[in-house]
Amino acid sequence: MAQYDFKKITVVPTGNDLIDIVLSRTQRQTPTVIHKGNAISRVRQFYMRKVKFTETNFTDKLSKTIEDFPRVEDIHPFYGDLLHVLYNKDHYKLALGQLNTARNLIKRIREDYVKLLKYGDSLYRCKSLKRAALGRMCTVTKRIGPSLAYLEHVRQHMARLPSINTGAPTILICGCPNVGKSSFLNKITRADVEVQPYAFTTKSLFVGHTDYKYLRYQVIDTPGLLDRPLEDRNIIEMCSVTALVNLHAAILFFLDLSGSCGYSISQQAALFHSIKMMFRNNPVLIVCNKTDLQTLEGLSGEDLKLVMEMKSAALKTIPGQGGEAANDQDVLLTMSTITDEGVMAVKNAACQRLLDQRSERKMKSKKMPTVLNRFHVAMPKPRDQKERPVCIPQAVLEARAEEAAHEERKTEKDIENENGGAGVYSASLRKHYILADDDWKLDILPEFLDGHNVYDFIDPDILQRVEELEREETAVEEDGGDFEMEDEDFTAEAEKDLQEIRKRKKLLIQKHRIKKSTAESRPTVPRKFDKDRKFTTERMGRQLSSLGIDPSRAIERARSRSVSRKGRKRERSVGGDGEDVMEIDGGLDNKKKLRLRSRSMSVLSQRPLGEVVPGEGFKDSAQKMKAVTMARNATKKRNKDARRGEADRVIPTLRPKHLFSGKRSIGKTDRR
Amino acid sequence: MRLEFCWFCSSKIYPGHGIQFVRNDAKIFRFCRSKCHKNFKMKRNPRKVKWTKAYRRLHGKDMTKDSTFELERKRNRPERYDRNVMENTLKAIKKIDKIRHDRAADHIAQRWKPKAAKERREARKELEQSISLIKAPLAIQSQEPAITVPKIKVKAPKQQTVEDQLMEE
Repeated sequence: MAQYDFKKITVVPTGNDLIDIVLSRTQRQTPTVIHKGNAISRVRQFYMRKVKFTETNFTDKLSKTIEDFPRVEDIHPFYGDLLHVLYNKDHYKLALGQLNTARNLIKRIREDYVKLLKYGDSLYRCKSLKRAALGRMCTVTKRIGPSLAYLEHVRQHMARLPSINTGAPTILICGCPNVGKSSFLNKITRADVEVQPYAFTTKSLFVGHTDYKYLRYQVIDTPGLLDRPLEDRNIIEMCSVTALVNLHAAILFFLDLSGSCGYSISQQAALFHSIKMMFRNNPVLIVCNKTDLQTLEGLSGEDLKLVMEMKSAALKTIPGQGGEAANDQDVLLTMSTITDEGVMAVKNAACQRLLDQRSERKMKSKKMPTVLNRFHVAMPKPRDQKERPVCIPQAVLEARAEEAAHEERKTEKDIENENGGAGVYSASLRKHYILADDDWKLDILPEFLDGHNVYDFIDPDILQRVEELEREETAVEEDGGDFEMEDEDFTAEAEKDLQEIRKRKKLLIQKHRIKKSTAESRPTVPRKFDKDRKFTTERMGRQLSSLGIDPSRAIERARSRSVSRKGRKRERSVGGDGEDVMEIDGGLDNKKKLRLRSRSMSVLSQRPLGEVVPGEGFKDSAQKMKAVTMARNATKKRNKDARRGEADRVIPTLRPKHLFSGKRSIGKTDRR
Repeated sequence: MRLEFCWFCSSKIYPGHGIQFVRNDAKIFRFCRSKCHKNFKMKRNPRKVKWTKAYRRLHGKDMTKDSTFELERKRNRPERYDRNVMENTLKAIKKIDKIRHDRAADHIAQRWKPKAAKERREARKELEQSISLIKAPLAIQSQEPAITVPKIKVKAPKQQTVEDQLMEE
């Protein structure tokens, strides 16, 4: 009744792998360090632990495997037979038996060696004993290597077996090879079994599930059967035989009327008769497939006779067991999987027969009364023949009628839906505005005008107020504009004078600025030492006449009083008869002096170099000489001669201290 | 949609421009551009920043009190739409705008007026005082004897005679 799960069996390691696993575990999980000098009890303990640990691991792994694998006797006979068919029950049992023996042997070894280790007297002896123990265990494991490999193989195959629930309602499909069993399965279930024109496409059992009357049915597809004695059957056929024998299911025997499977109807009939023993008390249906190629009516007489024989045999189910055919129709059915004609009918018939049988069985079983006792359906008997129909109050009926009448009102939603739905149509909210004049409903309302918010200005009597404003404005204008200035403008002459004054002022400022800037680089010499001959009477005359004064008298006066004519006054120092240093003229005549002075520009050589000329600004001769030398030096032409010049790179310090001494924060100081 | 005024420079903020800042006390500050926003963040007082309207009004550079301002008022209660009123309003806005603009221009012109008179007075004074730069007083006197140029007294250095020097000793 249970669903077997062969997928949960743990992987069986090969012999060498098992040894490796266990030994490496021992090495990792037990202490590894021991010395000669340790106490002997400790040494013994150390090695005993290793032996025990190894034995435990071996035993655990072997036990797990032995327990995981199903015992053929304990499982459902279908699976038992299936395992036998596939893997040979004896071989299977032997392998598991070997594992068991190995386990016991390892246990024995451990007991022996632990006993010996208890009396080990040196580290070396203990170590040797441990080595021997482990070695023997490994040898034992090596010997069962082939069994382990076989079991692993079996496990892998078992995991791939179809999971058949032996208790669930099942439909079994059997028949000759290539009659259309797998295509039928594909049609009624979601299974996707390979369908090919060659025989023995299906090599093992396939399961599909289908529903009928709220029940889930398993449909099992079997490999094709040949008409052979049981002993001669191969593994694949044995699978289907196992299924037939052990499973309680509705059996659909497929018949190929056209013979395109390669077997004639007589052959198929022979097969049927040979396996009908196996049907026992299962409901049997004979399904004639491939009616698109050959119908039942179109059969020849002989073939028809054979078919009828089969049908009668099928009808002969053991009475009282249930599953009897209600009528002939249920036993013999025709269909075509290619055209889908009659497929569902077959399925329904099969399911129905099975369901009937199962229900009858259940009814007859001992559990039924307990179930029946739990519920009771009450059917009250009518008291009299009076009719009592449904009752609705009048008010409700009236309201309903009114509502139906009121359906004409059109809502906004309806309008929206008419005009394209929610995203397309947007309801106009203005429709219901209450305004003085309905024409205004659709007016466009401006919000800004010339940078002002229109709503800030709205006022019913705004025009009035604007008119007032305008009146104000005009009143202000008429009042008279400005209060005019009393002063008149200047005359043209006055304007000109003003401009002149301003120009003159500007010039003065400019001159002053120049003087200020040059004062730093030139000596300020008093006016009397007039080197450049600026202060002449002509100049004075010009300036005076520009001011509007007649200069002639002034010029006369100046000339009469000039030094050159009169000669300078001697100025004596206060105490004593100091030599007059400032005496310029010796016995020269004034006129001569004038001539000299006028020719000074061209006769530079006549004057000695260091002589101090008053207008230049030198203190004394020494100062002038110094100035002269400096000027000469500045204008000297340098003798370059391809020597290094100013523009050529010069390293001021050839060996700077910071590069040639001290440690570096980063880097080496190998090279300096 | 409403045209707001920038909190800092008092210029109009059109839709789609500027930033609004809402403070924790729910006061809303609107700025027309990041310049004003940044100035605000620097905690500058618009009344002290020369180019803002707040400064200009405070210091009398722009017109502050006028009847045209009373016509523009923020109304909190919506009025029922009336087409005629709307028409009149639109016409009125234009006129009011023009009047306001003229009055503001007048105000500014009024500010500039005293300058001309002042300049004239200064020029007159300059002419009077600095005439000596281009015309000598003698010339002026000879030309226009009516005008008397102010006499400038100059202290001449005393020439030390020999007697005086001996006296000092």
